Amino acid sequence: MTGPVGIAIEGVSKRFGAVQALVDIDIHVKAGEFLALIGPSGCGKTTLLKCVSGLVAADGGRIVVGSRTVTGPGGREASLVFQDFALLPWATARENAEFGLLLRGAPAAERTAAARQALAKVGLAGSFEDAYPSQLSGGMQQRVGLARALAVNPQVLLMDEPFASIDEQTRRILQDDLLRLWSDERKTVVLVTHSMEEAIYLSDRVVVLSPRPGRVHRALDVPLPRPREALDVRASAEFARLVDELWQILKKMQ
Amino acid sequence: MKRWLLRGTPLVAFLALWQWAAWVPVSFNFPTPWQTLVALSELLGSGALLQATATSLQSLVLGFGAAMVIGVPLGLLMGVVRGVGRVARVYLDLLIALPSAALIPLVILSFGISIVSSAVIIFVFSVPFITMNAYGGVRDTRPRLVEMARSFGASWGKLFTRIVVPSAAPMILAGLRLGLSRAFLGLIVAELLLSPFGLGKLIMISRSMFEHDKMFATVLWTLVLSGVALAVLARVETRLLRWRAG
Repeated sequence: MTGPVGIAIEGVSKRFGAVQALVDIDIHVKAGEFLALIGPSGCGKTTLLKCVSGLVAADGGRIVVGSRTVTGPGGREASLVFQDFALLPWATARENAEFGLLLRGAPAAERTAAARQALAKVGLAGSFEDAYPSQLSGGMQQRVGLARALAVNPQVLLMDEPFASIDEQTRRILQDDLLRLWSDERKTVVLVTHSMEEAIYLSDRVVVLSPRPGRVHRALDVPLPRPREALDVRASAEFARLVDELWQILKKMQ
Repeated sequence: MKRWLLRGTPLVAFLALWQWAAWVPVSFNFPTPWQTLVALSELLGSGALLQATATSLQSLVLGFGAAMVIGVPLGLLMGVVRGVGRVARVYLDLLIALPSAALIPLVILSFGISIVSSAVIIFVFSVPFITMNAYGGVRDTRPRLVEMARSFGASWGKLFTRIVVPSAAPMILAGLRLGLSRAFLGLIVAELLLSPFGLGKLIMISRSMFEHDKMFATVLWTLVLSGVALAVLARVETRLLRWRAG
């Protein structure tokens, strides 16, 4: 598939039993945009991401990814990246990276080639291919998770707190690598995070969800220059100001 | 060197204890380790032991094989279809709690005195453990992996073969190992208590003829046999689960 696609989330609501998780969510993600979703725990940001992926069926409203209305999981436009990596412990890094293609019935040679290429993109070429997840550090495991998502060549990456369980130093390296990948591959990214710095550092726009029931509280544009990974944006006054602005929004919402 | 010392010491201690028991003697005609070894080589030489082993292994293969072929799929089914699991586990728990030997009279009544009876008893001894482990293995499947596979559009069949079965594999294999040791137990119990076949018969005959050295030799042989079988299975397990080594 070529070229990024946009995502339209229109009037989406979701209720789990007695708990109203999401109410009337409207978000439009532009093609190629890097969007961050942030909000207090339990605000339904992960649920919203699962609705976009089709894993959770919304009660009301509709979600359109590219030209396809989401009706269930398995859409070819988008790949998920999980907080706990969700790697198969019995499969090697390469087999894990191939897994999406395997499920979609791609022939073995094509799978291997795509997996190798994806692993190289995330910096895991060579000897790591045959390592099992238990032999890899958390950061490397998430690289494999990212490679698995990229191997199916999606137009959209849906990332559910992908770096939350990774140590700070490794997280910063992974964030830079993700920015580099994003500018090389021109994918649309929706990133769920609870880190304000991460949201500001990575995204074009931060959407803040209110506590349960989750609604769109505000959207904050992030006009920081790119490529941020090369410009040492974290040290800039503007970065600090935006993080603080986001913090003020979140603080007032409590 | 240190490893050999660690492994050798219990064996030497065991032999010494045995020798001492024969010297005292603990009971009439208690054989020494050496007498037992001599009897073992005699039994092997005459072919009596090998013939008995072949007979016993026949019922073992029959009973344990059936337990494997029925128990693993049943356990998987129980794990996947909740209702089946809820109902079947009650009966399996009962089978586990019940002293399985109590079923022997019933088995004789139903199948007569034959190799089939031994096989049925071996089956009853081992199948609950094999089934329950497969069931537990399925239930241990991480929901997150299922979610991940579904996000790539996995069909129900692919979810089963690519996520559920590999997730359950460690517990299935552990269940097979447990089932095999139970199968040996069932084999000897069956042959001692009901059907005059195989190794159990050999033990009973030597006992009634006061050939205690031969009796001990047969018991020792049975022990070695089950030890080897379990070790082979453990080797297979490590090989299949080498991803766990880490």
